[in-house]
Amino acid sequence: MSPEVLKKQNRTALLLMVTAVLLVAILLSLPAYVFRAGVYTKKSSNTVVGDEKYLSVLDEVNAVADEYREKGFDVSVSESVTERTNSKGETTSLVTFNISQEFTRNGWSFLGAGLSSSLILVVLLSCTLLSLACAVAGSLGTMEDLPRRLDACSSMLRSAAGFFALAALILVPVFVMNNTVLFSRKLSLYNAGTVTDGAEAFYRKIGAFLFGDSAGEDPSGALKGLTFHSTAAIWLTVVPLFIMILAAIQLRHGSISETLMRGLLYAFVLVVCVVTLYPYYVMLVSAFRSNAETNDMYFLHLLPTKWIWSNLQDIVNRGVLRYLLNSGMIAGGATLIAMLCGIPAAYAMARMNFKGKKAFLGFVIMSQMFSPVVLLIGIAQLMSTLKLNDSILGLMFINAAFNQAFAIWLLRGTFVSISPEMEQAAKIDGCNTMQSLLRVLLPMAAPGIVTTLIFIFINAWNEYTISTVLISTASNRPITVGITQFSSFNMIEWQYLFAASLLATIPVVILFMCIEKHLVSGLTSGGVKG
Amino acid sequence: MNTLNSKRRWMPYLWLLPSIVLMAIFVVFPIAIVFKLSFSEISKSGIVGGFIGFKNFKDAIGLPAFKTVMVNTFWWVLSVVGLSTVIGFALAMVLNQKFHGRKIARAIVVFPWATSLVIQASVWNYIIKFEYGNLNNVLLNLGIIKQAINWRSSYTIEFIWECWVGIFVTIPFVTFCVLSGLQSIDASLYEAATVDGAGFWDKTWKITVPLVKPSLTVSTVLNIIYVFNSFPIIYTMTKGAPANKTDTLITYLYMLNFYDRKKGPATALSVIGFVILCICAGIYMVTVMRKEEEE
Repeated sequence: MSPEVLKKQNRTALLLMVTAVLLVAILLSLPAYVFRAGVYTKKSSNTVVGDEKYLSVLDEVNAVADEYREKGFDVSVSESVTERTNSKGETTSLVTFNISQEFTRNGWSFLGAGLSSSLILVVLLSCTLLSLACAVAGSLGTMEDLPRRLDACSSMLRSAAGFFALAALILVPVFVMNNTVLFSRKLSLYNAGTVTDGAEAFYRKIGAFLFGDSAGEDPSGALKGLTFHSTAAIWLTVVPLFIMILAAIQLRHGSISETLMRGLLYAFVLVVCVVTLYPYYVMLVSAFRSNAETNDMYFLHLLPTKWIWSNLQDIVNRGVLRYLLNSGMIAGGATLIAMLCGIPAAYAMARMNFKGKKAFLGFVIMSQMFSPVVLLIGIAQLMSTLKLNDSILGLMFINAAFNQAFAIWLLRGTFVSISPEMEQAAKIDGCNTMQSLLRVLLPMAAPGIVTTLIFIFINAWNEYTISTVLISTASNRPITVGITQFSSFNMIEWQYLFAASLLATIPVVILFMCIEKHLVSGLTSGGVKG
Repeated sequence: MNTLNSKRRWMPYLWLLPSIVLMAIFVVFPIAIVFKLSFSEISKSGIVGGFIGFKNFKDAIGLPAFKTVMVNTFWWVLSVVGLSTVIGFALAMVLNQKFHGRKIARAIVVFPWATSLVIQASVWNYIIKFEYGNLNNVLLNLGIIKQAINWRSSYTIEFIWECWVGIFVTIPFVTFCVLSGLQSIDASLYEAATVDGAGFWDKTWKITVPLVKPSLTVSTVLNIIYVFNSFPIIYTMTKGAPANKTDTLITYLYMLNFYDRKKGPATALSVIGFVILCICAGIYMVTVMRKEEEE
């Protein structure tokens, strides 16, 4: 591209940005929200629509409305009719007249209101202006340069322009949602009296924003019947902000479609991560709430109002440490047994030739299918015969046995991938098979062994079904069974349930993240799952 | 010389012995017990009587909930395995791209895999509570809904939620299986296709899918078995209620055996489940063995 064309292109992009900022400013000065607040109510009972009593009350109401209009308020009169049968058996109506005031607020009026929305709007506007500023600063003197030849500073500034515009764009729905919470959810909870904390200050703030000085000291009455809706103007600000992003991309990369694909990719990953982490967020915040808050249907906040660390102390008092210890023992023992039996078997499968090798391999793969759950009844019977029911030792053996297939399969894969030459050399030096295995092969296979080890540990740690059947003594429970004591039929102590779950989850998630990289390569060689 | 030879011949079996003993006692034995019990008369208190042929099986099939449970099991396996395979595949394609924060994204995606099913199910159980659940709280706070929604208004919807939790915890496994397949694909294949003018979908269908197929088969068959056997999700969220309407075979046989004390039909169901699994396992084994031979 010639410098002239580039210069023109860049100039167009900058011009677009300036126009977009102006558009945002214009859109913010249009009405963003339409409010309707009741200012006067008159009820008239024992009337029929159209009769004398009705007409006289209507005149009265209209007079009041005119008074408001003279003062310069935009008011409207509405009526609602409820049919009733009185004690004499006659059907009459209860007519309710409402004078409501309708008024609008534009985006700018939020700025000085001191509400949480005001803060969001300030940040939104700053981002928009910063985006423009960055784009201009990043283009000074480099208008004719190809995007990839820009110096570090200008390319960074141009990228920043895009990011600020993106931030501003995201803040638009945040702003609207925050307003919904302010004028609808919080207000209705305060009006209904279900939540009382900080009601007065809240009413004063909202009152000052909506009615100005005329609100007086106690605007709560006027706010009782408040309804509102947003207009298209506030949502339309998304369009110029999106144009700003595109212009910034144009400035930074020269090509838009590729960047948009990239943006889609990030959006997808972000959504997946948010959805995946959501239950963990719930676990975390619920673990530190009070019992009242976990069961409160009017609970306002996304985080606990007060982080109750004593929940941890409470669950420790109720034996959770013992359960964690049991789980550790079961998982550790199962891993040890599975490895002690699995390593020699995997070694034989990888390095020796013998009759029935294939049949054994087939059996190993088959047994990977046999979840202990479908054999639950058989296992329970067997364990009581062996006097291993209700014991930690029994669970160790069961977990080891049902993870045996996986251990052999994965270890065999690891051993096969290591060339046998080193062992042969060791044997020539006078080592026997055992020594060559211990001193040469195992150290070389360490990553694979650790992966297998951790995987079996996690499987055994998370096992629930067999334990719940076999264990009846409380002090022998693993944590997965232990947490169920917090949920009985009539009451669930969610905060304790989640606090214990958190303790049970954190160590295994960390362990799993350690082996995640090896798992990807290990999976191709055989099936793995907990 | 002779002794050395026979020692050589016996050595491999000696190395296999601990593993064989362990599996024989704790895997093969329970299988035998279940089979024996399914053909025996069993009293409510668990006393085993003599051989009664197929009576337990007839009883099991004659149970009023049998049909519902089998249909549920079918839908449970189909929806969880099907959807998690589709979503997991897409996710793996995305995670195979190079982008900033890929490591973090991968670490996060693996979370549900590492978490105990009973914990995962408890959390979702709380999330979708009508009266005070977290989903309503978050949506109300975001201003997306104006009124709390009853997320579990009927057992069908509850069953759908259970399927969702099943999908949620199964996705990581599929993703990582497919990812391991994707990473073994030679990048030059895509470059050659690009030169030939192939678009995104062409490349996906003609290069990616065929080459990932082996990993996809492994993950799908294993998932069928694991999902079929999945117990904690349904047991934690609904316990099969109301009236076994949300039970699958596994949770049903558990309730039958340990709550209702109908041990005969329960063992028969166990055997039925086992046979279904064996068929799947057989298909899987043939696939894997063939793959082994190719290598």
